[in-house]
Amino acid sequence: MTALVRYLLADVLRTQRYLPPLLVFAAVLAMFNAGDAGPPPSAYAGSCAFLYPVATWLTIVIATAEDPVRRAVTVTTAGWGRTQAAVTVLSCAAVTVVALFAALVPVLTQSRPYPPATVALGLASLVVCGLTGVGVGVLCARPVITRPGWSVLAATALVVLAFLFGRTPPIGNLLGALGHETGLAGDLAVSGVCAVVLLVGATLAARTLGPRRN
Amino acid sequence: MVRLDRIGKRYGRGPWVLRDVTLTVEPGEVVVVTGGNGSGKSTLLRIAAGLSRPTSGRVERPSSVGYVPERFPPGVRLSARDYLRHLAAVRGVPARWDLVEALGFVGGPDAPMATLSKGNTQKIALAQALAADGLLVLDEPWSGLDAAAGAVLAELVVTGGAAVLLTDHHGHDLTGARELPLGAVRSGVVIELDRVGELFDEVSSLEGVVVARAVGGGARVEVESGFSDLVLAEALRLGCSVRSVRS
Repeated sequence: MTALVRYLLADVLRTQRYLPPLLVFAAVLAMFNAGDAGPPPSAYAGSCAFLYPVATWLTIVIATAEDPVRRAVTVTTAGWGRTQAAVTVLSCAAVTVVALFAALVPVLTQSRPYPPATVALGLASLVVCGLTGVGVGVLCARPVITRPGWSVLAATALVVLAFLFGRTPPIGNLLGALGHETGLAGDLAVSGVCAVVLLVGATLAARTLGPRRN
Repeated sequence: MVRLDRIGKRYGRGPWVLRDVTLTVEPGEVVVVTGGNGSGKSTLLRIAAGLSRPTSGRVERPSSVGYVPERFPPGVRLSARDYLRHLAAVRGVPARWDLVEALGFVGGPDAPMATLSKGNTQKIALAQALAADGLLVLDEPWSGLDAAAGAVLAELVVTGGAAVLLTDHHGHDLTGARELPLGAVRSGVVIELDRVGELFDEVSSLEGVVVARAVGGGARVEVESGFSDLVLAEALRLGCSVRSVRS
């Protein structure tokens, strides 16, 4: 698995398709923190909300870095299950690094105090939103959705959907808790479980649908 | 050993691409899948490699499978050496650069594969697949190779010890290889006639006519290859006009 993740990482790094989502996220993060971002932990609400679509975008980039023919060679070498698991693991690792960066930026740029416990809660919220984005990304990329146009439409729809239903887990309740600074730990646990279930389900769906779509 | 048992494949509700294909390939045995365009050769190979799930039937295959697609993509940014090293690591075996050299690779091993010629890219694709010791699935493996590399590949395929399933439009001589023909083999002649009109029944009942279809005032007639001259002569005698003859 480690060798497969390393291979996918080496390949993704050479495509440079990972740059647009990261640059957009960096720009928005800079905008959030250019002035007063507000009191923590509600200052993390904006970056959490924006990390969700960026994580989806980044996951689709990772899942489709290899073209379908080269992916066929990789799948033959490693199997459908290992290949899909490696895509999910690499996406989660990449999103966790981005979440860590987003958690530390306000600590370094804001004049307000950021106690370690608050930063830890902010990081956990960012990771949960990011992992939810990874799950949605896996569901919207090959082999689940094979056409790029439908992939973009499905990803946009699922991302928007999460913001339409108020304080519904895994995104809405977390953003609500961050904004109102109440019951964050409980909402984090619920959203974390939802994100993990979504991740595992999406990976299994991709693993099952892959050989059927080929 | 790979075993395909009554394999069938259709996409959605479309027509069957493959139906009731049964095949066993022992270790060290080479099977060449033959058939015309659209006969399902590549589909069968993809099922054998584990890329595609058959609609019906069962597949047993070894865990170590090497696959070479019909057209390896040209735009790979990894270098040839890195690509082989990574795929060998995924497989858990040492990278075999000696195979690449045996095939006569020319070019920069550390340059992006996108800069390599088609033949040299094909050699890298072959080298990654030949690292498998259970089953080799090779879709047109001689595509883009020069004669010397082609001869080396034929030797590697025959002496490798893995079960080999391949397609080859160029008919390379592989000692001891077995053929698996797919699809109906048509060897007749298609004659397109004008000014057929009411003579259609007479034309379609001529000796050697396999299929006849009225097209406007003419007809499209499929004829067994040994009867084409006879059918043409009769059609002209009847007053029809010959538009085209294709074999």
